[in-house]
Amino acid sequence: MLWLYSTSAVSRRISVSWLMATNSKIKPQRLPPSAADSSLALESSVKRANTMSTHSSIKDAFSIYTDYLNALNEKRERVVKASRDVTMNSKKVIFQVHRISKNNKEEVLEKAEKDLAAVTDQHMSRLVKELQGTDFWKLRRAYSPGVQEYVEAATFFKFCQTGTLLKLDEINASLLPLSDPSLEPLQINLLDYLLGLADLTGELMRLAIGRISDGEVEFAERICRFVRDIYRELTLVVPLMDDSLDMKLKMDTMLQSVVKIENACFSVRVRGSEYTPLLGSSDPSSFLLGVSDVEL
Amino acid sequence: MKSAFRNAYYLTLSRFSLNPNASILHLVPAVSTFSSPPSSVFKNLSFRSPLTATLSSASMVGGDSDAPQSSPSLEKQFEKFRVELEDSGILRERIRAVVLEIESATRLMQASLLLVHQSKPIPEVLEKAKARINVLKDLYNKLAEVVRECPGQYYRYHGDWRSETQMIVSLLAFMHWLETGTLLMHTEAEEKLGLNNSDFGLDVEDYLIGICFMSNEMPRYVVNQVTAGDYDCPRKVLTFLTDLNAAFRMLNLRNDFLRKKFDSMKYDLRRVEEVYYDVKIRGLATSGDSVGDQGTQGQS
Repeated sequence: MLWLYSTSAVSRRISVSWLMATNSKIKPQRLPPSAADSSLALESSVKRANTMSTHSSIKDAFSIYTDYLNALNEKRERVVKASRDVTMNSKKVIFQVHRISKNNKEEVLEKAEKDLAAVTDQHMSRLVKELQGTDFWKLRRAYSPGVQEYVEAATFFKFCQTGTLLKLDEINASLLPLSDPSLEPLQINLLDYLLGLADLTGELMRLAIGRISDGEVEFAERICRFVRDIYRELTLVVPLMDDSLDMKLKMDTMLQSVVKIENACFSVRVRGSEYTPLLGSSDPSSFLLGVSDVEL
Repeated sequence: MKSAFRNAYYLTLSRFSLNPNASILHLVPAVSTFSSPPSSVFKNLSFRSPLTATLSSASMVGGDSDAPQSSPSLEKQFEKFRVELEDSGILRERIRAVVLEIESATRLMQASLLLVHQSKPIPEVLEKAKARINVLKDLYNKLAEVVRECPGQYYRYHGDWRSETQMIVSLLAFMHWLETGTLLMHTEAEEKLGLNNSDFGLDVEDYLIGICFMSNEMPRYVVNQVTAGDYDCPRKVLTFLTDLNAAFRMLNLRNDFLRKKFDSMKYDLRRVEEVYYDVKIRGLATSGDSVGDQGTQGQS
């Protein structure tokens, strides 16, 4: 994955705008979180400009708008970059977790946990710094893919660790330490969480199929039940989401994933048991050791 | 003996089409009527119905365990989500209702302003249009109140009022120019709409796009003014648009909607230049005497 940025073009534009900015008497500030802040700056410059001719007052006003747009676009670029890094590194976590099997569960999860913590500390923290105030919603399209991937990685890891779903509150609590008390914390919003959850089911499907081919059918069946539950809960919630079209498409894919897992479990029960003993509680290395069988 | 059981088992199953979606595992207990098999293979073959399997695996998982239905904390979380989303959905409905009213008030304002192309006297036209501004001010106030209920989410719902706001800015800017010959500033536009507080302002990009829409109206206005005999208009409009264009060129625009609108402004400027040229070379610009056929030629 190569992210090419025309950094030279960007720096050229920045230098031009700084030239313009120094002509105006207002010192360029950090992106004002709301339109009103910029309007306060505009107001003071307009009052000054009214004493001059119309021509230069337009120029003055527009130099303010230039500053505003430059700050906004630069911030947006930084957010996009951070989001891409979050995406890439979250994918690495997911690949790591996929390596799991009954033999290496501990080591795989340990490494995954470290990697996930690295994503949080190194990359999510950049988003925390950039997104303040109205930025959360204004720049959502810039950071949403990254956050979705992060949710996917974190929930995937949690499931393999404990078999449960990482809740939105829990994931947000883990992000609180990233920000200074003076800054607004980055809190993943409901929509990004649900979108990430939809992607999670795809990974779980892959995991289930993989585990089945290693004979770990019980694990796969647990995944199956888990994914079914998520799908069921989501059907109630998805139609209510903002711009629910993306999510509705993901729901179709999700149902296909559920069916794939169910079919795979079915196939191995029906056909596979004839040739290989299933990894059940009698296998001494199984993590189902000690579980009593139910005989009918 | 084992193989016989297996064959019988598979015979039972094969009678039914192996439709994976059918819950076929419930047939498995029926096999036990043959006899209780000693082999571990059959023991592991899921005489565990899905229910019992869940219970047995539940006992090994530490922490939250999967109950036969999804765990209560899972249900709770999604119930909370559902309530949140329903609330935001209701808020969005209310926003859309106000925006519909804004839209119709805008259309009325636009209709009155369009009279300017038919050479109705400007003060009269402006009078009618200005009356609408107060209506709009109230409606935007209403909108601000609704949005205030979810602080910080201006941009979540921004798309719902974005295009109407852009249209309104263009109308206000046009009116301002007709009155004063100058450009309506962002702060002035905000004031006219009563959007002066820190939670519901006028987005700068909306303002800039609105200005571009205003410039789109200029060529048509100029043409109609010349037809009606006002030969001074092109010069004024040309200076104005040139200044505006120069100001816009200061902006570092990325390839988005605003950029496209700015590009279209170049064509407006060119059209006005053509009209000004036509009027100038025929010596019409200096005096307002020759009307009629000279005027119509000015439109080529």
